[in-house]
Amino acid sequence: MEPTASYDNWRNCFSEVAPGLLLFARQWVQSAADAEDIVQEAFVKFWRRNHNIENRALLYSAVRSIAFDFIRRDMRRARREETFLAETEPAIEPNFELQDDTQSALAVAVDSLPRDQREVLVLKIWNDLTFSEIGGTLGISQNTAASRYRYALSNLKKALQPQ
Amino acid sequence: MNDFSELEKDLRKLRPASPSPVLFERVEHALEGRRASVSEAIGKQSNFAERIGKWWSLGFGLAAAAVLILFAVITMERRHERQETVAQSSAATAEPSVPQGTVQSMTAGRFVSTGGTNLVYNTRDEGLHFADGSERPVRRLRYQTQQTWRWRNPETGASLRVSYPSEEIVLIPVSGQ
Repeated sequence: MEPTASYDNWRNCFSEVAPGLLLFARQWVQSAADAEDIVQEAFVKFWRRNHNIENRALLYSAVRSIAFDFIRRDMRRARREETFLAETEPAIEPNFELQDDTQSALAVAVDSLPRDQREVLVLKIWNDLTFSEIGGTLGISQNTAASRYRYALSNLKKALQPQ
Repeated sequence: MNDFSELEKDLRKLRPASPSPVLFERVEHALEGRRASVSEAIGKQSNFAERIGKWWSLGFGLAAAAVLILFAVITMERRHERQETVAQSSAATAEPSVPQGTVQSMTAGRFVSTGGTNLVYNTRDEGLHFADGSERPVRRLRYQTQQTWRWRNPETGASLRVSYPSEEIVLIPVSGQ
C-alpha cells in the first residue's frame, strides 16, 4: 500500500520539506513572510486532499501555482517582483543559513542565476527531486530540466572562478 | 566523471533558511480546523461539504421555485373547483360529476412551459487555481445569473413565472508556457 498523507504525521513530513519548499517559493517572492504564506496554503491544501506524499511533484506544483496566484492578486506587488526578478538582484532576506564567506559567495551566485535555471537547481539540490519530477513540476521535459541544471552549474562555476 | 561534483557537494552544504516556528503553528491550526470539520461530517466525503457550499444558491433557488409552483397550482385548482361548483348548481344538470382527483390531475397537467431566460449579470475571473488531482492550473470563472422560467395554461390563460438567482463556476484548463 502506498503511503498517503494523514493527520498524524504531518509535522514530520512538513519539518522535512518546509525549508526546501520555502526556498522554492522564494523564487517568486522576495519576502520570507510571503513565501511562508504560500507554503502554508500549498501544504495545507495538499494534506487536506490526502494526496500520496510520494507524489512530491504535485506539492511543488501547488507551491508554484499558489505563488503565481499570489503575485496576480496584487498587481503592484507583481510589477515590483517582476522588476526585481528581471534584474536578478540578490534577495533582501537571506535564503540560506550562511556559515562563512565561501558560502556567502555561493549563495550570491545562486541568487544571480536566471530564474529558469535557479528553480531547477533549487528543486534538484535542496529538494532532491529527480529530473522527471522537476519536469512534472515546471511543465517542461526531463531533458530540458537536466539541461537547465547543467547550465546552472556551469554558470555558477564561472561566477565563482577567481577573476 | 561529473565535472560539477565538487560544486554540487558545496551547494548541498548550503542549508536553506529554516521556517519560523509560527509557520508550524499556523499549519497545525489550519489542519486542526479541518480535522474538526471532518469529524463532524461522519460518513461523508471530506469534500462533500465544499461541493454543497458551491451549489447552495442553486439548490435554494430550485427549492423556492418548487414551493412557488406548488402554491400557484393549488391556488389555480381551488379557483377551478369553485367555478365548477357554481356552474353545476346553477345548471342543475344530470351529467355525472367528474371525480375530484381527476379534475386536480387534469388541471395540474395543463400548465405548459413557454420557455425561460438565463441572464448573466456578473462574471468574475477568480484567477488560476490548482484543481483536485491535476498537475495543471485551471482558470476559475464565476457566473452569477438570474434564471426565469415561464408556464402558461392555454385554457384559462393563467401564467406562472418563477425567477431565482443562481451561480455557476466554470473551470478552464490553462496550458503551460
